[in-house]
Parts: sequence; structure tokens; C-alpha cells
Amino acid sequence: MSEPSIFVDSITYSYGKQQAVRGISFDVAPGEILGFLGPNGAGKSTTIKMLIGQLIPDAGTIRILGTPIKGHNSEIHRRMGVCFEEKNLYLQMSGKENLEFFARLYGLKHPETDKILQQVDLWNRAKDRVSSYSKGMRQRLMIARALLHDPEVLFLDEPTDGLDPVSSKAIRDIITQRAQEGTAVLLTTHDMYEADKLSDRVAFINEGKIYALDTPENLKQSHGKRTASVRIQRGEEILETIIPLDDEAAALKLRDSMSEGRVLTIHTEEATLEDIFISMTGRTLQ
Amino acid sequence: MSIKRFAAVLKKDIALGPRSPIVLFAVFIPIFLTIVLQLVFGDLFSLKPSLAVVDQGSSEVARLLQKTEGIDVIFLESSEELKRRVLDHDFDGGLVLSQDFDQQLKSGQRPLLEIYISGESYAVNRLVLMVTSIDLLRQVEGRSPPIDIDMVQLGRGEDFPISMRLVPILAMYAFIIAGLFVPASSLVEERERRTITAMLASPVKLHEILWAKALLGVLLSMVMTVVTLVLNNSFSESQGVLLLVLLVSSVFWAVLGLIIGLVSSNSQILFALIKGTGIFLFGPAVFYLFPNWPQWIAKLFPTYWAIDPLWQVLAHQSSIQDVLGSLLITLAITLALIPIVKILGRRMLRQLASS
Repeated sequence: MSEPSIFVDSITYSYGKQQAVRGISFDVAPGEILGFLGPNGAGKSTTIKMLIGQLIPDAGTIRILGTPIKGHNSEIHRRMGVCFEEKNLYLQMSGKENLEFFARLYGLKHPETDKILQQVDLWNRAKDRVSSYSKGMRQRLMIARALLHDPEVLFLDEPTDGLDPVSSKAIRDIITQRAQEGTAVLLTTHDMYEADKLSDRVAFINEGKIYALDTPENLKQSHGKRTASVRIQRGEEILETIIPLDDEAAALKLRDSMSEGRVLTIHTEEATLEDIFISMTGRTLQ
Repeated sequence: MSIKRFAAVLKKDIALGPRSPIVLFAVFIPIFLTIVLQLVFGDLFSLKPSLAVVDQGSSEVARLLQKTEGIDVIFLESSEELKRRVLDHDFDGGLVLSQDFDQQLKSGQRPLLEIYISGESYAVNRLVLMVTSIDLLRQVEGRSPPIDIDMVQLGRGEDFPISMRLVPILAMYAFIIAGLFVPASSLVEERERRTITAMLASPVKLHEILWAKALLGVLLSMVMTVVTLVLNNSFSESQGVLLLVLLVSSVFWAVLGLIIGLVSSNSQILFALIKGTGIFLFGPAVFYLFPNWPQWIAKLFPTYWAIDPLWQVLAHQSSIQDVLGSLLITLAITLALIPIVKILGRRMLRQLASS
């Protein structure tokens, strides 16, 4: 079995007496997107900081692309891309200048800055100063910067936080495409919709611990309810009932109602990731 | 250390320079102060008194004036042109020597000497022109002055004019603003905007970033001190020694700038630190302004060793051997600061990651 791109075993980290990460373990295979889903202060960003070598874990093991990480490692950093939550771009430089500068840091001889700027739809503003960019444009430039050197591992900290739906979708499409090309992606978010749409697997993190780690589908199936909400016309009345999908008798009853043309609407009562998160941790994602 | 990454950071910082108010401030302030001070003390635009001469009869006085080193003499064709150009303040003064001026002078007559003085000329220039002219007239007349002059110097022999004593202060400004403040503020700005975090997520290492910023400070500091010295007519002699002294001092100020930048987590702290430590930074230069103060006190300031070699070369035309001791002390202090830079760098990384 090949080594996962990201391997994390029992890492812990404390800020003074405050334990931020409490012995979490997970791995991310090449081409896989792992969503770290949790509220603010859950330990997501601290985990990413340890993975990119900016914090050194108090205990545990991290291996990125098979190399143990304890602090900065130029060789491994050359192969990873990071998109931070804060928009840490050079505002006095243009979008293109920002990318060209980072291309030099990555030692790229022929950086495809034009191509990546087209990909994130910033080509027509490439020569404008970043200070004139909107929030969505800055975020797209952050993504472009993280992808510029074709990293094998990609860390994305809240990549679509606060963006409009169009910008969010554009960024999600780029992430999905890169994963399909073989990049391992670790994505932190408190947006359950984004985690559900993007992630191959989702980890629920809260108070520095991973509560669950599985595919969104498995999580929904194992923690959600298989029910349907049905509205039926009975004379002048409209009745709304919850029907368990595993109950054969209830299903027959529903079939009869449908054949008589009395069913107005049917909605499945599938649990959302947020529902499951709340039921497991007792906290909301916001 | 990767030279390519180091060069990439330096190139980026140089490119951002003209877009940074701090760098523009660093370039502008020493030039501005030089011009203001030189205008006040009248050195920059009036190096020597200038005298226009209309010689209508090949006067000996005119020949002697031309040989006088302390005056710029220009010969004109007519007294009308002379009057017009003195009125326009092209010259400090003008002299019209009539055709038989020397003959009348030597024969004991009292020839008329027309002297025109520009209303905008400095008093000191007027004095120099008058005294020099009268002295030359005596020479041509063939008489010695009716008095013996005994010149007694008051004050210490090594005292220099105020304009000269201001040069270390102007150089200190260039050192502190360009050498110290530019790397410090660049570092603080990267920290405040978190761009340093983005850089550190790439292959570049912290020490490559820090030394690139230090080199920016060294380069800017050297350029600005040279410009300041040129504007003060102090960059004419011993240029090799001067450049070496400026290089050693600039490295010292840049390393000090890194320390101040690493200690300051934001701009407010940086400005407070610069203001708070200003007296310690500038202290030694003030002693050059007041030569009667006990000069040994200046040596207690570490920054003294970074400015005194420059003063020695400028004021006393000291050789490299003369200032070697001070330069070695400056280098030793600089080397002693490097471990502090490393410790503070690690501290900054922890702070960045924790915030």
C-alpha cells in the first residue's frame, strides 16, 4: 500500500495551558479531498499550521509525502500549496506580480502565471494592483498562488469563506479539478454544504478532537434518519406525516395514497452534516 | 541559504520601495534636511563668493584677483552687463576697473573704484570680497598695510564650522532612516499584513527573508549617505576609505533595524521604539555639534562606533589605519547582535503561528 500524501498520528498542541489539538489522527491519499468540518476555535487552523511546519506538535507524528515534518522544510514546502484564511497578498503589487514573486520563491523557471490567472478568471485584472481587487478576486488570487507550482499536497483554510455563490462555485470547481489530477487536498471549513459537496471524506473536529471521520454519505446514513415527510390531501384537510423508509407497512400505505392521487409532496428527511455534527458534539458549526 | 530565494525577496523589496511611503521618506528626509541646513548656513549654493570684473585696461588688480583661490572671478565686457547680472544675483559682487586705474593708484591719486554688491548676497561673502579687494589694491599700490596684524586663534584648534559639524547628524539621519527604519518597517509591514506567513509557507526560510531586508537597508543607507555627503561637498577625498566606513556602518544599522523590526509586532510599537530610543541612536552625533562637551560620554553609546569613523575621515582625513580600531569595534558589535536576531526570529515565528 502506498504512503498517503498526508499522514497524521496522535498529534497534540497546546497554547500555554490551553490544549488546542488533542491527539488527532487521519490521513489523506493522493487525489483525495478531506474536509475538516468544525466551528471557529475547533483546532482546524492549528492543525494546518502544524502540517505546514509553522507550529511543532507537542506530541505525535506528521508525515507529508513520506517526510516527517517538524518545522520548515524547503524541499517539502516546494511540493505543497497553502491557501490561508487571511488574505495575505501584497496589496501594492499587481496580481501578476504577486504570482511572479512566489514563482521565484518556488524556483519556477517558466511559471504559467497567465494560464493560472485565466483559470481563476483574473486575467483581465492581472496588471491591476491587488488593493483594487474585491474580496472574491483576492480569494481567487490566493487560490492561484497556492496552485501556481502544481503542488502535490494542498492545504486550504476556509477557501470560500464569505464569498458570493458564483465565486465559491468557481473555487470549488478548481479544487475538484486539482484533486482529480492527483493532488491531495485538506480543506478546513465551517460550511457544511461546501464540505458535503467537495469532500471525499469529512472529519468532524471540535475542541481539538476528531469526533467522526468518514464519507459524507456514510456519515449521513449511520447518523441520520431514513424517513420521508409526506403531505396528503384527505377531503378538505391536508395531513403531514413522517414515514420511516425502512418500515414496509408504512411504505405500502404511502404507495396506496400515491395511487389514489392524494399525495401532494414527498420530502426525504435525510440528516445534513450539520445535524450530525450537532448531535455528536452538541455545538453548531457557526 | 538559497541565493535565488534571497535575491527574489530582495528584488521584491526593491520593487516595492518606490510604492512605500517609508522608503520615500527615507530618501526624501536626508536630502530635505541637507538642503534646509545648507540654505540656513549658506554652504550648498554659495561655495565661494563670486565676483564679476570689468577690466577696461589690463589691470594688475584683475590679474591678482583671478589668481585668488577663495573667489570665483568672471570677466565681463561692460559695466552695464555687470550691473544687470549683479542685480539678478548672478554674482555676489561686481568690480569695474577703469582704463588707467593702476597708473592712478601707483601715482598716489585716488581713482574711483566702482563696486556693486548684490542685495541677496550673504554678509560673509560681502566681507570676503571687500577685504580681498582692499588687500590686492595695497599690493598693486606697492605699499604694505599701515599696521601689523597679529592673528590670535580663540577656541580649540580642531573646532570646525557648524556646517561641518552638522554632517554627522545628517549622515546619522540617512543611516537611521534608510539603514535602520526601512528594514524594520518592511518586516513589521509583512508581519501586520501576514505576507511573511505566506512566504514562510513556501520554500523560503526566515533567515533568507531577514538578510534580504538587511541588504536592502545597507544598499539604501549607503546610497543616501553618499548623496548626503555629496550635497555637503564632503565626498571629495578618501572615497575608498569613506565607502568602506559607510559599508561597515550601514551593516551595523541594518542589523539593528532587523532587531527593532523583530521586536515590534506592529507599526505602533515600531514608532514608539524609534521615538523612545532616538536619544540613544542619535546621541553621539549631537556631541559633534557641541565640541566643548566631554567627548568621552559619546563613546558610551554603541552607535558612537558606527558614526565616529565617518567623522574621523571627513574632518581629519583619517586613513584606514586610523579608523581601523573603530571599524573593528563596530563589526564586533554587529556580530554580537546576530545571535539576538536569531533568537528574536524564532520568537517571531512562534508569535506568528500562535496568532
